[in-house]
Amino acid sequence: MTAPPVSADPATAPNLYLPDLMEVLEVQQHTADTKSVRLRFRNEIAAKRFSFRVGQFGIFSAFGSGEATFNICSSSTWKDYIEFCFRRTGMVTDALWEVDKDDTIGFRGPYGNGYPMEKWRRKHLIFLGGGIAMPPIRCAIWYALEHRDEYGEITIIYGARSTKDLVFADDLARWAQYDGVQVIRCVDPGGETPDWDGEVGFVPEVLKRADVRSDNSVALVVGPPIMIKLTMPLLTRMGLVDRDIYTSLESRMKCGVGKCGRCNCGPVYLCKEGPVFTLEQLKALPNDY
Amino acid sequence: MSHAIRKEALRALVGSWLAEGKRVAGPVAVGPGRVLYQPLVSPERLLLDGFIRTVNSIKAFVFPRHEELYAYRFRGRQVELIDAPLPEEEQIVIGARPCDAAALPVLDHVFRWGTPDRSYERRRELTTVVTLACREYDDHCFCTSLDSGPRDERGSDVLLVEIDEETYEVVWLTSKGKDLFVRHTERADRKGTIGTGPKRKFDAAALERFLAENFESPVWETFALRCLGCGACAYDCPTCHCFDIVDEGDRHGGMRVRNWDSCQFALFTLHASGHNPRTAQAQRIRQRIYHKFRIYPDKFGDTLCTGCGNCSRGCPVHLGIRPVLEAISALERKPQSAPPKTP
Repeated sequence: MTAPPVSADPATAPNLYLPDLMEVLEVQQHTADTKSVRLRFRNEIAAKRFSFRVGQFGIFSAFGSGEATFNICSSSTWKDYIEFCFRRTGMVTDALWEVDKDDTIGFRGPYGNGYPMEKWRRKHLIFLGGGIAMPPIRCAIWYALEHRDEYGEITIIYGARSTKDLVFADDLARWAQYDGVQVIRCVDPGGETPDWDGEVGFVPEVLKRADVRSDNSVALVVGPPIMIKLTMPLLTRMGLVDRDIYTSLESRMKCGVGKCGRCNCGPVYLCKEGPVFTLEQLKALPNDY
Repeated sequence: MSHAIRKEALRALVGSWLAEGKRVAGPVAVGPGRVLYQPLVSPERLLLDGFIRTVNSIKAFVFPRHEELYAYRFRGRQVELIDAPLPEEEQIVIGARPCDAAALPVLDHVFRWGTPDRSYERRRELTTVVTLACREYDDHCFCTSLDSGPRDERGSDVLLVEIDEETYEVVWLTSKGKDLFVRHTERADRKGTIGTGPKRKFDAAALERFLAENFESPVWETFALRCLGCGACAYDCPTCHCFDIVDEGDRHGGMRVRNWDSCQFALFTLHASGHNPRTAQAQRIRQRIYHKFRIYPDKFGDTLCTGCGNCSRGCPVHLGIRPVLEAISALERKPQSAPPKTP
C-alpha cells in the first residue's frame, strides 16, 4: 500500500504542532492522584470548527512542561466544552495537577479513529474498565445514554485498586439510575472498606460472576494490559466474536499524526490507525504493545 | 554529448554561490579521518574526495536535529503562542553521497502523509542537492544489496560523475539543479564512469522472507547482547526520523522544540503507567529492523534504508544494520543449502 503524497503549500499550511489555547472551566479531583479538567476553546472560531468522535484523543499541553496524550473523556454531543482526565505521574501531569479555573492549557486534536458508535447501534453494550481507564469508556457510555433508544442493554463493570481509587464515582451512580443499565463497581481484594457495597475482585473475576447479557452484544475493554489480556478470552467464552470485542490501546505518543515514529505496533501506527481496535485486529498484530 | 565541469571551475562556482549570499553546505574535514556535512564558509573547505562517507547525513538540512516548533509566553493566566517563522533561505548541499540524497524522497512519505509537516516541506523546497557519485566504498557500504548503487539518482537535483582527475560530468535531474549549473558547464564527448559499487552483502529477498516469519525469534537476543543501546545508529542515519517534542523555557516563557530521538532508548516507548511495550534491547533492535525493512515498505512502498552503512561506522560495538542483515540472510540461506530431498 502506497500512501499518496499530499501536496500542500507550506506557506499557507498550518503548523500542525501549534495547539489551540483552552480555558480551564473546572477541575474535579477524583482520587488522591487523578483529576479531570473541563476546557473551552479560547478562540470562538476554533470552538465552532471543532468536532470529534468518542474514543478519539487529544494532545494536551502544560506550557513549560510539555505535552501528553489523553482520551477526550466527555461525550461528543457536549458542544460547549471537552474534558480529559489524568493521573499525576510525571512532569506534564505534575504541571497539570496545579492547573486551576481560568488557567490556560493547550490542546491539539482530535486524533485517532474513535469508537464505531454507529456500528454498535441496536446492540447490547458491555463496558469493562480498570482504574484510570474509566475516562476512555466514560465518553462512550455517555454517548450511548444520550442516544438511549439506539442501544440495547448496557452493562458497566468498572474496577479500581481500592474504594479510594474509583474515578468518576459520581457518574457511576448516575448511570445506575438509567433503565436497562447495570453498573457493577469492584475493587481489588483488600481494597474494600467495611461499608463498601460493590464487588470485591478483579474485573475478569467479577465478569465471570456477573449476569451479563451477551447475545447480540459488543464489548469495550479498556485498562491495564493484564486486565485486557484476561478479560478478552472470557468475552469470547460468553459468545462474543472477535470483531465485536473492542479495546483502546495506550501508547506513548508525541506528534499524534504518524510522524514521530513512536507509537507503531508492528505495521500499525496507533495514533492514526488506532487507538481503537477489535480483538480480530489485535490478533493480527505482533506482540508489541 | 554530455555536460562537464572542471573541478577548479566547480570550486569557483561554489565560491560564487557563497559570494551571492547563498547557504551552501558540503563535506568538510573537521578532524583526522572525520568528515561532516557542514555549512561552508569558503569553497576551499569543501572536500570532494579522499574519504568514503561523512559521519553525519544530509537529513539535518531538511529535518534539523533541534527545531523550534513555536514559542509560548506566559501573560498572567493566559498564554500567548508565537508560531515559528518558516525557513526562507535557499540552501545548496554539494557533494552529497547518493545514499544521503536517496533518503530524502524516502523521508517525504512520512512527513507528507495525512497532515503535511510544514517546515520539512518548506526546507525540501528550498534545498538543492548536488550529489557526487561514489568511486570508493568500504566494507560498511551496502547500497547494492538494496537495489541502490553508487550513482543512485533519487533525491538529487544534480549528479556529478567523475570523468577524470580534472573533470566531472554534470547530469542535471531537475530544473532546480539545471538552473545552478546551466551556464557553467562545457560540452564533453566523454561521460563519467564509475564502478558497479560495493559487492552485494546480503540477499534482500531472504531478508523479506525472514521478517515475514520471525518477529518472535531468538536471533534478536543475540544482537542485543552486543548492543549498548546508545542510539548512535539513528543519529548518523539518513532515514531515521523519529523525534521527541519537549519544552525549553523558564517562568516567562519558552519554546516547544522537537529533537531527534531513537527507538533504541528504553524511554522511547515507556508509558506513564510504567508499562513498556519494548523493555528489552532485543525488542528495540527488532523494531528498528522491522520499521526499516517491513513496516515502512508496506506503508509507503520504500525501504527506510539506503545502505549507506553509517550505522555501522558510528557503532561502538561494530553492529548497525549490515551485520544484522548479513546474519539474517545467512540464517535464511541455511535450510536451502541442504541438498533437495525431493525424489
